[in-house]
Amino acid sequence: MTIQKILVTYNFTNLDQKALDFVTSAFAHIEGVEITIFHVFTPVPDIETQASVVTGKLKGSLSYLSQQIMQRENDLKKVTAKLAENGFDESRIQTVFRPRKKDIAGEIISLTRDTKFDTIVLNRKAARVARFFSGSVSQKVVMTLKDTTVCIVS
Amino acid sequence: MRAEEKIDIDLFKVVFRAIAQSDNLEIMANHLTQLLVAALEIKGCTIFALNPELDELEVLASFGLSMNYLQKGPVLSDKSITDTFKGKPIVIPDVNDTDRLQYQQDAKEEGIGAIVSVPIDFNGKVIGAVRLYHNEVWDISDRDVDSLLVLSENIGLAMTYTRVLTALKTIRYTVDDIHSVWLPGEE
Repeated sequence: MTIQKILVTYNFTNLDQKALDFVTSAFAHIEGVEITIFHVFTPVPDIETQASVVTGKLKGSLSYLSQQIMQRENDLKKVTAKLAENGFDESRIQTVFRPRKKDIAGEIISLTRDTKFDTIVLNRKAARVARFFSGSVSQKVVMTLKDTTVCIVS
Repeated sequence: MRAEEKIDIDLFKVVFRAIAQSDNLEIMANHLTQLLVAALEIKGCTIFALNPELDELEVLASFGLSMNYLQKGPVLSDKSITDTFKGKPIVIPDVNDTDRLQYQQDAKEEGIGAIVSVPIDFNGKVIGAVRLYHNEVWDISDRDVDSLLVLSENIGLAMTYTRVLTALKTIRYTVDDIHSVWLPGEE
């Protein structure tokens, strides 16, 4: 049986939930579907402490924030559990939770090429001025990837 | 009692290095929110971009606030701490004692005690805002507010720079798609 590999990007927003609902309604009843839930986070910056009291204290606070970020991995596991409740075989759901090294589109493209996903499910919020500053993730993914189905939930 | 000053030259060095070391606005803005939360020991920080067509603030980066709070509804520039959009910093030392918040009840439910909002402007126009959220009543010093204004001016520069960079990249992608056969005199 051919396995269809689906990548779902997830950032805990309402639109991401809508994308998951779409994935459930479109694929939950199909055998041979593998789902990967993908979340990238920005790791706290590395700072030079040297002899400064202020930056030394700051490093301690950043370490605490880093722990807070890592707790989100548990939140991602809850998403997996919900998909399993909605009919997906738990053994066919994976999560990828990792720090970003480049822009979001670049992370999606790299993972898709490395893992050879057949389908990507993205979401796109309408009328975002933030796109002027950081570029459109969905546009870059669609323009760059070949032989991959890209579903955009809006 | 005089409010404690928390932003000094060492912190500025760390923050400006974070700005200078990234060519990606999202990563830079996320690092800034993390650094401000850690340095000021506050609950959260959000950097907004102003959508001039809708008069709404869009979240560019945020740290420390729940997704529920961030998705509470559109943040309208004429209803949400309006003086920020006249280019002035706004300090709300106690969210229980103000009529300047668009989502006061949501702020209380989120556990926010105080908010400081600083405009991000470029070339005399407000293009966004930096908001700091404390979980307690907060008496921020005037000097720290001034320091935040300097910081926000630099964020404005970085936003403008990355906007130009994004436009240039889009042009490059488009030009790369043009085959030389369509260009007279090119082989």
